[in-house]
Amino acid sequence: MQDNFRRYIDGLFAETTPTKKSVELKEEMIQNLHDKYNDLISDGKTEEAAYNIAIAGVGDISSLLAELEKDTEPYVPDIQEYEKARQRSALFTSIAVMMYILSILPIIILSLLDIYRADIVGVPVMFLMIAGATGLLIYNSMTKPKFYKSSNSMVEDFRKWQTDEKDRKALRRALSSALWAIILALYFIISFMTFAWYMTWIIFVIGFMIEALINVVFTLARGGGK
Amino acid sequence: MSIAADLLRGHTDTIILARLMDSDNYGYEINKSILQRTGGDYELKEATLYTAFRRLEQAGCISSYWGDEQTGARRRYYSITTAGRDTYNSLISEWKVAKKMIDSLIETEDKQ
Repeated sequence: MQDNFRRYIDGLFAETTPTKKSVELKEEMIQNLHDKYNDLISDGKTEEAAYNIAIAGVGDISSLLAELEKDTEPYVPDIQEYEKARQRSALFTSIAVMMYILSILPIIILSLLDIYRADIVGVPVMFLMIAGATGLLIYNSMTKPKFYKSSNSMVEDFRKWQTDEKDRKALRRALSSALWAIILALYFIISFMTFAWYMTWIIFVIGFMIEALINVVFTLARGGGK
Repeated sequence: MSIAADLLRGHTDTIILARLMDSDNYGYEINKSILQRTGGDYELKEATLYTAFRRLEQAGCISSYWGDEQTGARRRYYSITTAGRDTYNSLISEWKVAKKMIDSLIETEDKQ
């Protein structure tokens, strides 16, 4: 139902330029409509009736919107700083991906050179590179600048809440991509070393289990942290 | 009801300030308490409510902040300022004067 209210309010605001004030007002209206709707439902109204009553209470907001149009304060400030952080983050990610790809090289080169027991050097080096790349990805997603509350503005407060959510998702993605790179590498290493191809596919099953576990941990952490 | 509604509309600011005198509150709760106090007869349109919030905030009578609910719902709370309390008190005394004046103007001698 929250989506329906959002769609309705979005429709009302369709003609306005999204400023800080108008975005705030939208969120406020949607939340209040939703509270009203819930109250009406607990009073025994049907969903349709509750929705219609809530919407009917909005009234004519055209003059309010006209007032809002006078505000020119843009919704997203500080684009420069954001852009710099984005570039830094892209650099970190590319380095990490490069390290993942190159991590297999020492083994290949050493075995091509036909050095005795190449895996003794090659495997640890590979794992070091994978570990470094994973660390880089995690560090990157954790240090991505949040929008600092430089003022008491509610919008920044609200945006911080949104970016926190995004950060969590980014960290999860980074962990997931690292996990699968490691699993793939492990699969090939173990398979080539043992030649037990008929059973090494189990590594992927274990990978899925680990990912599922990570998801559970994230969900729990979010439930507890909020 | 429309006559009363017209009269009430002129006192939207006073009504809202009165609701905030005791404690901070958010839009829907303010409107709900107005509805309850009038026995379900009067309720502000949301457009009126938000316009008044905006006007009062610009005038420095109220300030707002986003609440920190546990459930994920984000409500914008309003709180009355010292200037707002002064405004409320002067609006109330203005109203008392006006009420007395209107009473004496519209009552007729042969009423009893």
